[in-house]
Amino acid sequence: MNAMQSLPMLQNALTVGALLFSLGLVGILTRRNLIVMFLAAEMMLQGISVSLVAWSRHHGDWGGHVLVIFVLTVAACEAAVALVFVLQAFSRTGRLDAAAWQSLREATVGRTVDRELPAIDAVPPRFPTLTRAGVLPPPDENEPLQREHV
Amino acid sequence: MTPAFDPPLPGTILAGGVLAAAASLWLLLPNGPDRAGSRRLGTLLGLLALGAFVVTGRRLGGLGEEAVFLIVSLVAVVAAAATIVSRSPVYAAIWFALSLVGVAGVLLVLGAQFLGVATIVVYAGAILVMFLFVLMLAQPAGLAPYDRVSNEPFLSALAGAVLLGVLSLSIGRLSASPPACCGLPSRARAGADAAGTGQPPPAAAVADPLAENHVARLGGELFGRHLIAVEAAGVLLLVALIGAIAVVGRGEAAQASADADPGRPLR
Repeated sequence: MNAMQSLPMLQNALTVGALLFSLGLVGILTRRNLIVMFLAAEMMLQGISVSLVAWSRHHGDWGGHVLVIFVLTVAACEAAVALVFVLQAFSRTGRLDAAAWQSLREATVGRTVDRELPAIDAVPPRFPTLTRAGVLPPPDENEPLQREHV
Repeated sequence: MTPAFDPPLPGTILAGGVLAAAASLWLLLPNGPDRAGSRRLGTLLGLLALGAFVVTGRRLGGLGEEAVFLIVSLVAVVAAAATIVSRSPVYAAIWFALSLVGVAGVLLVLGAQFLGVATIVVYAGAILVMFLFVLMLAQPAGLAPYDRVSNEPFLSALAGAVLLGVLSLSIGRLSASPPACCGLPSRARAGADAAGTGQPPPAAAVADPLAENHVARLGGELFGRHLIAVEAAGVLLLVALIGAIAVVGRGEAAQASADADPGRPLR
């Protein structure tokens, strides 16, 4: 009876979990930035968490909840260790690029060669414009330097 | 309500939605120069795909619950898509934080109060801040070339569409009856069978058997049946902490020796 009533909720939540997992899969397959790849992996874990909690609710069992708590724990450990490796990789190559480590690839796989891209300055980042209010603060000479890093 | 009487139309809408989602991702993923036309078309296709998923979603009981679930799941999914298509990794991290808020909302709607709050605290509060610290330490000035291209966006979007299609198909075929081979040893159902001599259980218990005294019972389960696993997780956290510190120290030592001896190759 319980299962019958919670079936639509189960299906909707599983769909959300499947969407998050698929988006994370696409992200980890296609992005080159190590940190964005890592965010995509965390997103796959989020999809799994949603699905586990949905099943837990469906069956009235605590197993899914407990498993999600362990997923959180392991994700925290994984993030700590992996970010250290990302920092090491960055300090060795000066780039957060996964293709910077393509010397580790199989002998049969071809080399990734970037196409010619327009200069970086050709695509300026767009910042929000805010309505001016109050007193104009004194100009901050560090601001352009910090904006470059966004 | 029973899936057996559903017309074949929802399957068609869902298949179209999956394909539209894949095409939208393919158009939106960073791929060389920024083209406003393909971005607009990708956004439109993404909205179409979301609409297909919303239309084919199962109706929940109450309108309020349905609206809340729809809003939080849309926030989660749209922010997740924006995470993987945004060119700047800082924006990706911030979109991911918004996606976490949506996921926490979905968990709350599903009745997982502790996990909803824990997701915000642990993920958005700790892990994501760590990501932003690393980005601050390691982000080169300006938009890096490798953030503006993708590895095989078409094949990746296709792989995602295949996975999503298979998952949606199997989700749509779920039925209320337990699998024939093995009845699940659900304690809630066992309790209902033991207590239920013709008496229907209370309405609240039917809606969510885990709702009453939620956090206390979750803690009891965690530190009762899963105590050994909790201890192992504690050891794992400690090992990860010490390992991270060790790797940082060793990397710095290697860097210093490489600086002192430039002839030696680093890799």
